[in-house]
Amino acid sequence: MIGKRRAWVVVAVAVPMLVVSACSSRNAVNKPHNKSGGGSGGYGYKIAVVTHGGAGDSFWSIVKRGVDQAGKDMGDTVTYQSNGDPQQQSQLIDAAVNANPDGLVVSMANPEALRTSIQNAVKKGIPVITINSGEAQSKEYGALSHIGSDETVAGQAVGTELKKDGVKNAICVIQEAGNVGLEQRCAGVKATLGGSVTNLQVDNNNLQAAQSIIAAKLQSDKSIDGVVTLGAQVAAVAETAIASAGSSAKLVTFDLNATVAKDIESGKMLFAVDQQPYLQGYLAVVMLTQYKANLNVLGGGQPVLTGPNLITKENAAAVLPLAAGGTR
Amino acid sequence: MTAATATADERVAHVGLLRRILLKPEFGALIGAIVIFVFFASQSDVFRSAAGAANWLDVSSVLGLMAVPVALLMIGGHFDLSAGVQTGTAGLATGIMTTYWGLQLYAAWAVSLALMLTIGFINGFLVTRTGLPSFIITLGMFLGLQGLNLGVTKQVTNTVQVENLDLVPGYHALFNILGSTVTIGGAKFQIAIIWWIGFTIVASWILVKTRFGNWIFATGGEPNASKNVGVRTNRTTITLFMMVSFMAWFVGNTQIVRSGTIQAQVGIGQELYYIVAAVIGGCLLTGGYGSAIGASLGALIFGMTEVGIVNLNWNSDWFKLFVGVMLLLAVLANQFVRRFAEQARR
Amino acid sequence: MTDLEVKEVTDPQKADVPMLEIRDVTKTFGSVISLFEISTTVRAGQVTCVLGDNGAGKSTFIKILSGVHQPDSGQLLVDGVPTKFGTPRAALDAGIATVYQDLAMVPLMAIWRNFFLGSEPRKGWGPFKRFDAASAKKITRKEMADMGIDIRDPDQPVGTLSGGERQSVAIARAVHFGARLLILDEPTSALGVKQAGVVLKYIVQARDRGLGVIFITHNPHHAYPVGDRFLLLKRGRSLGDFAKSDISLPELTRLMAGGAELEALAHELERDPGELGEVGRELAQDTETLG
Repeated sequence: MIGKRRAWVVVAVAVPMLVVSACSSRNAVNKPHNKSGGGSGGYGYKIAVVTHGGAGDSFWSIVKRGVDQAGKDMGDTVTYQSNGDPQQQSQLIDAAVNANPDGLVVSMANPEALRTSIQNAVKKGIPVITINSGEAQSKEYGALSHIGSDETVAGQAVGTELKKDGVKNAICVIQEAGNVGLEQRCAGVKATLGGSVTNLQVDNNNLQAAQSIIAAKLQSDKSIDGVVTLGAQVAAVAETAIASAGSSAKLVTFDLNATVAKDIESGKMLFAVDQQPYLQGYLAVVMLTQYKANLNVLGGGQPVLTGPNLITKENAAAVLPLAAGGTR
Repeated sequence: MTAATATADERVAHVGLLRRILLKPEFGALIGAIVIFVFFASQSDVFRSAAGAANWLDVSSVLGLMAVPVALLMIGGHFDLSAGVQTGTAGLATGIMTTYWGLQLYAAWAVSLALMLTIGFINGFLVTRTGLPSFIITLGMFLGLQGLNLGVTKQVTNTVQVENLDLVPGYHALFNILGSTVTIGGAKFQIAIIWWIGFTIVASWILVKTRFGNWIFATGGEPNASKNVGVRTNRTTITLFMMVSFMAWFVGNTQIVRSGTIQAQVGIGQELYYIVAAVIGGCLLTGGYGSAIGASLGALIFGMTEVGIVNLNWNSDWFKLFVGVMLLLAVLANQFVRRFAEQARR
Repeated sequence: MTDLEVKEVTDPQKADVPMLEIRDVTKTFGSVISLFEISTTVRAGQVTCVLGDNGAGKSTFIKILSGVHQPDSGQLLVDGVPTKFGTPRAALDAGIATVYQDLAMVPLMAIWRNFFLGSEPRKGWGPFKRFDAASAKKITRKEMADMGIDIRDPDQPVGTLSGGERQSVAIARAVHFGARLLILDEPTSALGVKQAGVVLKYIVQARDRGLGVIFITHNPHHAYPVGDRFLLLKRGRSLGDFAKSDISLPELTRLMAGGAELEALAHELERDPGELGEVGRELAQDTETLG
């Protein structure tokens, strides 16, 4: 028994030592950019942010970066909550409103479901700014402004660009079934492409299968010459799918990350449409702070547009390190 | 000593070879797979081409690799709802340890293995010690790991994915083992398919030909009776949970090695598909009966359906509906075949 | 204790030292006294019946003998040597095999798998050791035949066998694995008349092969034909430990059911042709008045 115990002690000591000795900076290829940046605005407001983004969604994590940074720069306390289910999101809004914040930021993928909660906030005298989705109902519900990029407009911009590049038959890959914004993007592309656009459903939680499905589609219809993805993570697997299917289809995407920027730079992707999610989060907090401090309102009654912003070969290289840092 | 005369039991008819094949749990799944294959192959030449086969085998292999140990666990009488999320934990662990903390690739590979085996051990230990349903325990683990995957990734990387594993020294050798392709008939087949077939054979051998396999059936069928005759039910259960976690390690690392990146939310929702594949393959939800080969056939059915629908250019908005209907049909066919075989022998 | 031992010595064919002796065993669970100073013996080639109604403590008794529980006081002596069974495995290793009433088998598994459950024969080396299915099936078939059942297909799941057949598989299993002492927990309680008779036959066969048998039951009519020794339990206490020559079936039944009440009931229910019972007399009166 003692022999066994001694053996375990040796293992418990030796293994961590071996592990630590296997460390080397040659392996640490990702060095996180931690740009905390100064800024002690000292405004001290409490801002609540409630969005419809999924927790693991890379797009919304960039929005949250903007929110957090603005909070630091302005010296505000910000809270961030999200839930993709409209009813649960409205409950989160109610909970946030009960804590009497100085300002509320909401994204409305399903505006009708959130109407009551938002109007309650407005009645209580809490200024509300909507971001990302729900532009049409924003003013009606009593929000100060809307910051975002119209999904349909962005889709149309993509369609127009693709048409210029000679694409006639495209597939639009939707990675989250039932997401209104994604559907609007594809509809926008269809409106301006002038050719044929077919939607293809895949699952964002199973990207390997998504790759096979995209490849299968390309194999089944050899006339497809364009692939439009609606998220940066899906773009990566779409690229592999195009290669494995031996297709010459051109690839474009909505939203951005470091891999997408790299691929645009190297020519593997044509372009990306970025709605600058960082700015949506950042500006919302700044605008609410300025409203509380100075009764400023931005936009002149019109939405404040953060996109569509095209990332092409010309500017990809400059954007790449920013995307790698998680702010673009 | 009274002479024991062997009295022929007139109810036990001679059981022919055909009936014995019909009674095997995987037989229904085999029929289902053949039917689905014929259906899609007859209507789409892409489906039956080498490139098409590479496609649906790829989808099947990823599902099938996990479905096999999940099936073994189900035969042993338990569920693991954290199986899907564990693949994420494994891949993220390897990725973060190398690209952010500078650990050597194979050392990180080994440490993530130790981590996953520990998670499996915790699952099994909690189930056997507390006596609570494994459904509940692993549900807790599922939620915990989901949060952990996301939280740690965001904390370390400031994004929701880990990238650039392909830049780490030593990557290429690992890629050859886990992520490379084999060209057959002009099409590139993922090497994971070969791993999948290999693991299925090993699991089936363990189940049917070893003492441990006997213990799996017994622990799932009647845990109390088994304990009373000396079967180590606790050890069996814990080992089964660790086998699921081992495979999650393998699959998660395959994913990050293959594409060089992995997302924080990978695997969420997949655990139900593993269970469905196992059930199509003949595993009883209540335990004590089933087959590893059957689970792999179930995964094959799933993969063929997913890709076949796309090959036929059916409207992909209806995709989940098609999959649901196909699966129900497969399970019902399985049920029908077994009942027919049972009744025929009576 | 001593007068009983004297009785045993008068039969020269029996061994001197009992295979298993239970001496003043007591077991309490919290405030409930499950068994109080219970004593009996089992000898090779003999059947000791443990009788008692529900709640008598029979299941606690078995669990102590099979190593699931340990007695709070008292002793177990195997071949005259005081022994402790810490786990079921320890009892099994000492040659004590327990056949439980409802938990004997895994219904979905084949007969041959059940037969060797927990003691699977293996062939091969190292990690490639495999379950020797071929010899397992052969041995199963042979052992069952020795018990009088022809299993044409040992692959048959045990769940398709009748209750009595399942008991016989369990008994054959115990006998095969070198059990010296067989403890049967209410093997006939859920069976029909013919099936119960068949199981009693197996008990006799096991006994005749030289095993000691402890037969737990609440039915004195099953116990009396096969038993050599009878231990009566009532609410955890022993009503007596009798050799067969010391007690008759009616006496056994009377003791079990609590004596006087049963006598009165039996008298009530007696169908003596010359005499109507109380109930019958009342009925006769009613028919007269209504008639």
